[in-house]
Amino acid sequence: MQKNRIIVSGFLILALLFSMVACKDTAVDVEEENEIITTVKLNFTSGGTTQTFVFNDPDGDGGSAPTKFDNISLKPNTNYTLTVELLDESKTPVENITDEVEEESDEHLFVFTPSPTSLLTYTYGDKDARNFPIGLTGTVQTGAAGTGKLKVQLRHQPPVNGKEVKDGTPTTGSDDVSLDFNLSIQ
Amino acid sequence: MTSRLYNRMIDPMKRSLLIFLYFLYSSSFAQTKEDTPAAPCDCFIHGIVLDNATKQPIVGAVVFVKEQNKGTTTDVTGHYHIANLCQGTYTIIGRIVGYQDKTYTVKLVHEAEQEIKLSEGELHLANIDIKAEKIDNLTQTKNVLENAALDQTRGQSLGETLKQISGVTTLQTGSSISKPVIHGMHSNRVLIMNNGIRQEAQQWGSEHAPEIDPFVAKKITVLKGAAGVRYGSDAIAGVIMLEPEALPDSTKTGGEVNTVYFTNGNQIVTSGILEGGLRPKKAEVPQSFGYRVQGTFKRGGDISTPNYRLANTGVSEINFSIGANYKRRNWQSEVFFSQFNTQIGVFSGSHIGNVTDLIEAIKRGTPLSIYTPETFTYTIDRPYQDVQHNLLKLKSTYQLQSGKLSLTLGRQYNYRKEVDILRGDKNLVQLFQLTTYTGEVLFEHKPLFKLLTGSMGVNANFQQNLTTGTLREPRSSTVLIPNFQNLTGGIFLIERIVRNRWEVEGGLRYDFRNLDVYRIPRGQQIVVENSKQNENFTGTFGLNFRPNSQWNFLLNLTSAWRAPTVNELYSDGVHHGAASYEKGDENLNAEIATNLSFTTNYITKLFQLELHVYNNYIRNFIFLSPTGRPTLTIRGAFPEFWYTQTNARFRGIDLSGNFQIQKHISLNSKLSYLQAQDITHSQPLIMIPPNRWENTLRYEWKKSGISLTNLYVAKQNRVPAKVIFSEIPINEIIFNQYGGDFAPPPPAYTLWSAAFTQQLKFNNRTGLDVSLTVNNLLNTAYRDYLNRFRYFADEIGRNFVIRAKYSF
Repeated sequence: MQKNRIIVSGFLILALLFSMVACKDTAVDVEEENEIITTVKLNFTSGGTTQTFVFNDPDGDGGSAPTKFDNISLKPNTNYTLTVELLDESKTPVENITDEVEEESDEHLFVFTPSPTSLLTYTYGDKDARNFPIGLTGTVQTGAAGTGKLKVQLRHQPPVNGKEVKDGTPTTGSDDVSLDFNLSIQ
Repeated sequence: MTSRLYNRMIDPMKRSLLIFLYFLYSSSFAQTKEDTPAAPCDCFIHGIVLDNATKQPIVGAVVFVKEQNKGTTTDVTGHYHIANLCQGTYTIIGRIVGYQDKTYTVKLVHEAEQEIKLSEGELHLANIDIKAEKIDNLTQTKNVLENAALDQTRGQSLGETLKQISGVTTLQTGSSISKPVIHGMHSNRVLIMNNGIRQEAQQWGSEHAPEIDPFVAKKITVLKGAAGVRYGSDAIAGVIMLEPEALPDSTKTGGEVNTVYFTNGNQIVTSGILEGGLRPKKAEVPQSFGYRVQGTFKRGGDISTPNYRLANTGVSEINFSIGANYKRRNWQSEVFFSQFNTQIGVFSGSHIGNVTDLIEAIKRGTPLSIYTPETFTYTIDRPYQDVQHNLLKLKSTYQLQSGKLSLTLGRQYNYRKEVDILRGDKNLVQLFQLTTYTGEVLFEHKPLFKLLTGSMGVNANFQQNLTTGTLREPRSSTVLIPNFQNLTGGIFLIERIVRNRWEVEGGLRYDFRNLDVYRIPRGQQIVVENSKQNENFTGTFGLNFRPNSQWNFLLNLTSAWRAPTVNELYSDGVHHGAASYEKGDENLNAEIATNLSFTTNYITKLFQLELHVYNNYIRNFIFLSPTGRPTLTIRGAFPEFWYTQTNARFRGIDLSGNFQIQKHISLNSKLSYLQAQDITHSQPLIMIPPNRWENTLRYEWKKSGISLTNLYVAKQNRVPAKVIFSEIPINEIIFNQYGGDFAPPPPAYTLWSAAFTQQLKFNNRTGLDVSLTVNNLLNTAYRDYLNRFRYFADEIGRNFVIRAKYSF
């Protein structure tokens, strides 16, 4: 009987010890929450007028389909200034990702690829600290009338083993943005 | 034929030799080539444990050598065998619940046979050595890795360690992350029992390796096939049990130091154990106290394939554990705490932006030179995984008149951070915090009618996962898995009858599970609560027939079930490493496995063979299947994958054999053959390990051993040919070439490896074991179907491994 009581109290002490380490309520506060790029704006300016073409997917990758995917329509044989804006509209207030790309221009590169290539020619208008292009600002010279695609890519090229890898070509890194806009020159 | 075998008389000499071989076989059969050179002290004691009154063999009795604190349990025929003893005089103690201890003195020169006769009687359990769960399924196929075989895997991850067992392979993410695959299944379907506690971590993820330091274990057992009755839900493919040695109850201080160096990646691993105890001499009641402290340090840098080095493939680990127990006459309590910390670099070239990036990488064949640097570094950069796992275990055992009662409580805390390459050095891609409480009350009853042994138990498991905000108020919808709370409970009964050459085992279990999920669906602001309930019965039936000491037959019919996990239900997002868009299905049902297996063992002096044939039918098998159509995101097109379920059948053969060609030379062969079929859609399942055949030729001389191993892994020809979703319009399917896969399975490969082992014994307790192994001897460039990086990088190249174990 006596022995049993010792055993029972032994068990209880263990259970108590156990519950002491057990109850702690914590919260996960993600201070630096993941950003998502929901919106890409392409601003084409020529002779004081600006045309803006937008891709917008408010809930990010997957989920609902993109709500806006404009067709780019430009005049033939015209010189445009092209600036790019990136936004995260899933956050309040809306987060401007363009600034972040600018801050880390040494690991970012925009690539604009028309197909067919005759539709337009892109020339970078900005450079990072190591003299490689970025592509937040540039000029576009359109060719003769025609239709096709304009692929807009943002290559993210962060350092590998602490060494910078951006060399002005799109080869390394991965796509943060990769969109095929319909393009018509008319 | 049976009666002929029955009637065959075997003279005692031969019989004992066969028993010896059987034990040798059962303990080391499934092991690799590199194992077991002649032991430094190679004497052994063996015999049978009998009920003094009925003369029936006693199964599961503990027999141990007092002076060495070394023991074993009797097998299905009541036999025991304790090897690797030095010459001398020993005290042998036999004990089991419900019987009186019996002590014998044995003078050991080379071998000794000692019959142990136990009488039923008053409880007397001063020092019960609970080496293993006594209610282990004896009628289920079991493969054990211990002693020299385990030593030869030291320094490797748990997944790599288990590859030594036929039927077990790995699912890899590069060469640093590998998780065990049993009979083609992995993750939640493989249950891991770490020191008696069910490992609860982030095992749902295919790139989440088990958070366990294999140095804690002195014995690793793999149960192949469904084992739901004893271990609860999820044990569909099998169970992996890691057990440390019983805590010492002598006052001697002992321990061991293991050091391993791998040339590839300059990896250094050091692990140490220190143990001892107290035993008051003049105490009123016999009592003792034992402790063990253990720690492991691991550091490795970038690894190399035969032709190039892979950037950011380093790994670092710091682990420790402490254990202590206190024993009285008829009860004992044990406390154990372990912490596992790791940082694993993920190959920089594996960050895939979208399917275009992936296709480019596949086309290139070798990674870009920027990802294959000339210079070696230990530095771990982004992307990497940072994981901590804590385990606290409390166990008390109490001896009652009618049997043994034990209570096991566990608390686990798992913290996982996956850091990707993000803009602005933002560091949180995914963060998981999982806290789990487990409890089990187990009652092992004294043999009833001297016939029926068994146990019954109740388990409960409560867990809470936090990925964002607080449990009920998540703050983000961009998480991979939502916050949840999960409660499971189960009750079971397993009974066993042992009669001469026959053994029958049967069991039944009931489980329930309640899952509450708190999440913010995509593009919404409000928190949605989902609640899911499941309940199930599972059963097991096993039959063991042992006509003589050469043959053993095992027939096993078991079941297990698994409720869908949170990622299978609610995933909705892009998985970067895999360049896939994964979508869960909240209407998934629980999957139910029915496993039929048949095992034959044949053992003679020169030839040992184990044949395991299995058929695992799984109703509602849940898997991730490609839809073949791309999902448009801002980052470009991602192939879409849906979680779905089907009826599946896994059937195969594991064959292993050992042939003693000559006194010093032996040949060991292991073959794993598996076919996994999606029955509903009449095509093979995706991501199933290809067939493999491994052969080792070993030369052993005194305390040295040399071995040469050849491993052949076939090409996986059984891959799905078509997309299974009929609701996807044909014209939307663009990835149709390899049934939704991005590339065909890699070709077959052959690998050679060699090992040299040497044992040095200084005295009874102190010894040094050293070995040199060369893995991938010919520096073969190859890729494995079950490595997620097979699309763009080769496997690890030649690797020299130097191991030293010093025990004192």
